[in-house]
This record gives sequence, structure tokens and C-alpha cells, in this order.
Amino acid sequence: MRIALAVLAALGLCWWLGQPTVWAAGQFLENGLLPPVPVPADNPQTDAKVRLGAQLYFDTRLSADNTISCATCHDPRTGWANPHPTDTGIKGQVGGRNSGTIINSAYMRFQFWDGREPSLEGQALGPIHNPIEMGETHENVVNKLNAIPGYREQFQQVFGTDANTDGIAKAIAAFERTIVSGPSPYDRYLMGERGAMSPAAERGLRVFNGKGHCTPCHSGPAFSDQSFRNLGVGMDKEKPDLGRYDHTKDPADQGRFKTPGLRNVAQTPPYLHDGSAKTLMDVIDVYDRGGVPNPRLDRLVLPLALTRREKTDLVAFLDALTGPVPKVEVPKFPEGPDPQADAKGGLR
Amino acid sequence: MRARSLWTLLALAGILAAAWPGRAAAVPVFARKYGFQCTMCHSNMPRLNDFGARYRMNGYRLPGRESEEKTVLQSPAPVALRTSAGYTGADRNDAAGGGCESDFRLNGLDLLSAGTLGPKIGYFMVYLPQIGEARGVAPQDGALEMASVVFSGLAGSWLNLRAGRFEPAFVPFSVKRQLGVAPYEVYDYSFPAGPLLSETRSGVEAAGYGSNRFQYAAGVVTGSETNRPYDTPSDVYARAAYVVGPGEGQTAGQRLGLVGYLGRARPADELGGPTSLEPFYRAGVDASLNAAHVNLALQYLWSRDDQNLWGAVDAVTYSGGFAELSVLPAVNLVGFARFDLVQAPDVDGRDITRWTAGGRYYAVDNVALHLEYSHRKLADVTATDDAVESFVTARVDFAF
Repeated sequence: MRIALAVLAALGLCWWLGQPTVWAAGQFLENGLLPPVPVPADNPQTDAKVRLGAQLYFDTRLSADNTISCATCHDPRTGWANPHPTDTGIKGQVGGRNSGTIINSAYMRFQFWDGREPSLEGQALGPIHNPIEMGETHENVVNKLNAIPGYREQFQQVFGTDANTDGIAKAIAAFERTIVSGPSPYDRYLMGERGAMSPAAERGLRVFNGKGHCTPCHSGPAFSDQSFRNLGVGMDKEKPDLGRYDHTKDPADQGRFKTPGLRNVAQTPPYLHDGSAKTLMDVIDVYDRGGVPNPRLDRLVLPLALTRREKTDLVAFLDALTGPVPKVEVPKFPEGPDPQADAKGGLR
Repeated sequence: MRARSLWTLLALAGILAAAWPGRAAAVPVFARKYGFQCTMCHSNMPRLNDFGARYRMNGYRLPGRESEEKTVLQSPAPVALRTSAGYTGADRNDAAGGGCESDFRLNGLDLLSAGTLGPKIGYFMVYLPQIGEARGVAPQDGALEMASVVFSGLAGSWLNLRAGRFEPAFVPFSVKRQLGVAPYEVYDYSFPAGPLLSETRSGVEAAGYGSNRFQYAAGVVTGSETNRPYDTPSDVYARAAYVVGPGEGQTAGQRLGLVGYLGRARPADELGGPTSLEPFYRAGVDASLNAAHVNLALQYLWSRDDQNLWGAVDAVTYSGGFAELSVLPAVNLVGFARFDLVQAPDVDGRDITRWTAGGRYYAVDNVALHLEYSHRKLADVTATDDAVESFVTARVDFAF
């Protein structure tokens, strides 16, 4: 009788402990809803500026041969990212890194895989003069834009000046700050909608925040620790991409790349800085193996011994991070003096 | 043994395990601080995984995010409780007769507190409150089992200092975080009233590691506290380990280790010998080998004690060790089997062998259903006074 009562008591306690609980917040599990987009004081958002920025974002005339725009590699049809492993710029030149999505890039403290630019404004100008990407000088771009009356008028209206690099950067950055994901099934789940995530995604959340060791790096509202990590990907090559080191020259940064955010990650294959992982499962496999051995492998990267089901659950959870993104149509561009050089929309 | 009751309990535990919803719930101290699941640091609570081992080595700070660590004053209350309740049945047979015992009871209570005190200072504390004997409750002596402060990163990863009362590194396989209930025999074997390796000690330990996978630890701790009103001697020890492959040898990678221990102790009163401090030595090798979801833990120790510590004519030597295999077929399930051996000295005359097998099912991260059977034999050298003990336990472990 005593034993039976004790077992009943244990059953009751177990039932109570087994009840669904709203996820407890913690120092690193604060992946709640995205806060308002941070906007720098010297570049406030205005509708006119965002419209101008959208035109510039899609306009191929920002490149040397009028073939490449920002949208070429950060394509809204493919999660505002590049569906190819690495970029292809002017004259068919192929870059070495995957173009990350601009969705929620407004929340990132560093831009580019190596974090060489702290702001979206700085990032916006980088590809224009990159010889492999858009291959144009800033001076030429400014001259081109000022030769287009429609742009000149808009720059006057928004900034009170003719087009210049500062205005170009600010307008594109303002537009990119509007490309933010809305509430995902995970967010709705956090807000108490228990059915918002599938059981697999729920299990995946536990793997993400436990055995999968994802949270220590993919934390915060954007699911990034805003830091740089060495997973060893590509470090076994003869001439590896040294990532953050190329910018800082600090040997400790060799092989480190920015921790990307994970919201809407399911929409942005391929993955990793070199686009070497075609699917999320491929990425998980890299982590499951404990990265790629190299002398500076991050100490948080360890073999995980995940089961097949844990991996599929993890993918289900990552899927559940997908929220709605503003639908943006390719804008109408101001016509230029040379019809041959008019913008083609920047989408291939 | 109340076999029928036991089988009823086991059957109910099995049904419970099969029907369990498997959801996550509240988690203790560190997990609560970060919002992590227990499985972030534990392959199976309480055993640490490689991540947990690195977290511990780093002074209870996440590697690479040290600057963001919140102190105990900025975190949720850094307190956790750990206990277990369940059935234990024991059967003993020896020359004097023996007998059976069985009980359904609450097995003690641990109060844990841990956290970060400052940028490079962490602490870990386990307090055992005194619990009087009562029906269905195992008595417990009040004790401060652990209370240590860790100063980490004093010279990069090469120097971390731990001071206070802690589980020293001369025990490569933590007694406090072992999967089974049955003790590691070799850690619990010593000369009369001698210090046991399984005990926590007070002292100071330096430890560190490098990117070349080498780890070391060395320390000075209080030694034997025999029942004489003299000062307590200090023992010294050193450990070196090397990890092959990724991981720390907990659930990934292969870890090989060496340990040496030099102690001094006064012979126990009943031996009637000199009261001077006499030396004793321990040397050990250990390995933690991993393949897929399987871990093999191997430990062997050699001992040499001054003859006066045993009341013998010559120096006394003996050895022992264990091999433990654990299998993790799923994140919430672990099975383990262990063989313990102590080749006792002639002056004692009873070799010890122990076979243990068990499993743990984690209903949630911090609640485990534990089943274990262990068979222990004290083999008398004359084969006339063998003693055999076996026990079975079915219980629920909680940490919250």
C-alpha cells in the first residue's frame, strides 16, 4: 500500500513536471520578438529616403557595366540572399564568399562575413567598388546618378544635395532597414500559442538549446551573438579564407566568421561563409562532426552525437523561425540620358 | 527482499517511462541562469559532456563569452536542490549469516549554489543539511560537501586556481557526477581510517589546458583526518591528461591520463603503532574512450602504504580499478555496466569484485528514473569467509 501511494505521488509529480511550460528566459535565451529596428541618429527613416534606397538597391547602373545591382546577389525572390554558393559579379567574376541575406541585417552589429563594416551605411558602399562585384568607383556612380534627373531630384528632396556617396549609403541602408521579418511560429509559440510550432519543432527547440549547443552563439532576438567563430569550414584547404583575420590581422581571428542570424534561415540556402552547405541538414552535419579540425577551432564547437531524429527536429525548429518579410516589387527607375544604360531591375 | 513489490514498482516505472510526454521544464542553477537545457552541459545528468567539462574548466563561464557573464547578483537566485526517492533492496550473505533489507525512502538532500562572482571568479557550493532518521527518510549528516572559489584565466587557459573544498582532479571520473549509485571501489579503498579518494577535500588546485590538447592539474589538499588530536597533514597530487581528437574525452575524443598522489597519515588508534606521519602513495592511469554513442571509462590505481598504516611488517601494496561502459542510444536514455576490482593486500585479505548494471531514463532533463543492480563480492583468501552483497535500486532523481 505504501509503495502504491508513493508511486501515485511520483506519477502526480511527474505529470506536473511534464506539463508544457512557457520557455524560461535566461541570459542567452532571450530570443524573443525582434525589438524595433535600431536607426542611427544621423540617418532617420523617411518614406522618401526608403523609396530612393529601393531604387538604388535594384538599379544595375551602380555597377561598372550596368549589369549588377545589390539585388543581384541579395535577391528578394531567394530570401534576399544568393542561391548560389558564392557571388558572381561583373564580367562573370566569381567571388569567394556566400552573400548573406539582408533580412534583419539591420540588427547586426557587424556587416559582411568578416565584420569589416559596423554599419549598414558602410556595407552599402562596399560592393560598389569591389572589383569582383560591381567594379565601379564611387566617383563614377555619383556622376552617373547626378546625370539622371530623376535621381538628382530625389537626392535634393531627401538630403538637400546632389547625389553623393554619403547619400547613396544612407538611402540604401534606410531601405534595408525595412527588410525585417515578422512574427514567426516560434515567436507565436513564445507568446503562448502552443500549437504554433509542430511537435518536431518543439523538440528541435530543446535540441537547439541543449544537446545541439546552438544557443551559446545563436542567441539574442536575431539569433546571433554578434561575434565571430571558427568552425574550421574551409580551413583544410591549401589557401583557406582567413575571415575576420583579413580585417584585424589578429592571429586569434584566423578562420573566424560572423555568427549569422537565424531568422528566416530556411529561405536562404546555401549556407556557411563559402556556401558549401546546400541544406540546413548539411550545416547541422558540420556541427555534428565538431566542425573541421584546425588549430583555432572555437572551443564551443564540439562533436554533438545527434541522432537522425534530433537533426530533423532541429531543421523543423529552424523552419519555425521563418516569419513574413515585406513584399517588395522592383521599383520604377528614373530614366537616364543613355537608354542603353538604363536599369534592368537587377534581378537575373 | 520483497520481490513482488519490487517487480510491481519496476513495472509501473516502465509504464511511466513509456507514457512520458518528454517535455522540458525548469532546470537548476546554471541552466536557469542562461536559459539552457540541462543537456547543454550534461550528456546525462549528472555526468558532464564535453561542453560542460569546458565550461567547468573555464571557471563556470561560457568560453568566448566571458565578458558577458552576469554575476550571481544579476542572475536568478543561484540555488538548486537535488534529491532522490525510491526503493532499495539489499541482500547480504557472509559467514556470520547475513540478511535482506528493503526500503522505500527519500535519499538525502543536496543544496547547490553556483555562479559567477566577478569577471574571472566563479564559485560552486554543495551543502548537505542534517536530516534526522525518520520513517521513509534516509538520515544525513550535515556537511559542507563542496565550497570552492575558482579564479580562472590567470595566465590564459594555462592557469586556473580553485580554492576551498572541492572534488580534486586526482579522481579522473567524478564520484559526484557518476551515473551509478554503487561506489567506485578503488576510490573507496584505503588503509584503516585512511583518506578516501572519493571524498571531497579542502585545499588549492591549479589546473589548465592548452590548444595542444594537454591538460594538467596539481594541488595541495588536506589529507588523512585520523582520530588523533594532531594537525592535519597536507597531501599533494598531480595529474596530466592528453586528449586525442575533438572533444574532451567526455562524450567525444579520447582522453588518456596519469595521476600521482603523495600523502602522509598517522596510523589509526586501534593499530597501536607510532603517532608519526607515515607516507603513502597512489599512482594511476585512466582512459576515457568514445565511439559514436558509447563511452568506455578505464581506471587503474596502484597503491603503496607505509607498513605502520596497516600495522604490518612490510610496506603494503595493492591495486585496483574499474571499467565502465555506458551507452547513450537517445538523449534521454543511458545504460551502463561496470566492473570494479580491488586486489587487496594480504594484510587485509579480501579482494573486492563488483558487477554493476543499470540505466537511467530522463523523463525531463532534470528528472531521471534510475534502475540499478549491483553485486559485490569480498573474496577471502582462504575461501572460507567470502561475503556477498547485492542490491537493487529503483528510484527517481530530481534536480530543480
